[in-house]
Amino acid sequence: MKDIARQSMSIKVESMDLLNGQIKMEAHASATYLAMASWCEQNGFFTSAKFFFKQAEEEREHMMKIFNFLVDTGGNPISPEVTGINHDYSSIVDVFESTLEHEVKVTKSIHNIVKKAREIGDFATERFLDWFVMEQVEEENTIRDILDMIEVTGTEGVGLQMIDNQVANWIE
Amino acid sequence: MNVIFQSTYYTLYQAADQRCFYLDFGQKIVRMSLCQLLSLRHKVMNIDIENHFDSDFNAHGFEVLMLCNKEHLFILNTLEVLDLKKLVSHSFISLGLSAEVPEVTFS
Ligand SMILES: [Fe+2]
Ligand SMILES: [Fe+2]
Repeated sequence: MKDIARQSMSIKVESMDLLNGQIKMEAHASATYLAMASWCEQNGFFTSAKFFFKQAEEEREHMMKIFNFLVDTGGNPISPEVTGINHDYSSIVDVFESTLEHEVKVTKSIHNIVKKAREIGDFATERFLDWFVMEQVEEENTIRDILDMIEVTGTEGVGLQMIDNQVANWIE
Repeated sequence: MNVIFQSTYYTLYQAADQRCFYLDFGQKIVRMSLCQLLSLRHKVMNIDIENHFDSDFNAHGFEVLMLCNKEHLFILNTLEVLDLKKLVSHSFISLGLSAEVPEVTFS
């Protein structure tokens, strides 16, 4: 019996489902960072706004990377529905703390897919995610560095404006 | 044509020479590519069966299923949905595209 299915698709459907979930998560991250950019613009943190505009773009690139992987492997990529984007933040510190929280969630989700792919012997998916594992290390590190800078600078007096100016160091 | 899996109401066949699949719904046989089969899987697996037992969400326990770019329309009751879910999960295992041990819903 000719194996049409295996000839048409080179990953497991369980990986495909999880990757579709990840597509949604990256889209959600992109939309969340766009909301943060909006908040920063409206509250006078223009450098931070720039930082989040860039982050939003990067998250969309992550999403497209996974989307294209599903195309390449013969899967069924699903264009995500993105809802429930928070636009309310109590301070710029709150914005960056939420960012770190969000990135940690994304890291956990990616690790979970790697684990699952390994369990079911889906080597293509496992290797594909190598890049994402390392990317998450970088992203978490960036936000942690910014939070450290915030801590050192302090939020009193001109602190907030100094914080915003220094965010420029993390925009390549 | 080979049978990939047969459930209570449905049968999935593979037609290797035509590089496609046929899904026998009883009253109609639908020709499908693997992409369309994946799309069917997505739709069927996303049906929340618990809503069938909550009249606020699904008063009559019916599900409208459109297949192959809206070429076909099916109206399924709860038992048929469960059976189709079973067919889909077992079929993908038979096809070697799923590693999962399927949940046995009913026999
Ligand atoms: Fe990302
Ligand atoms: Fe990220």
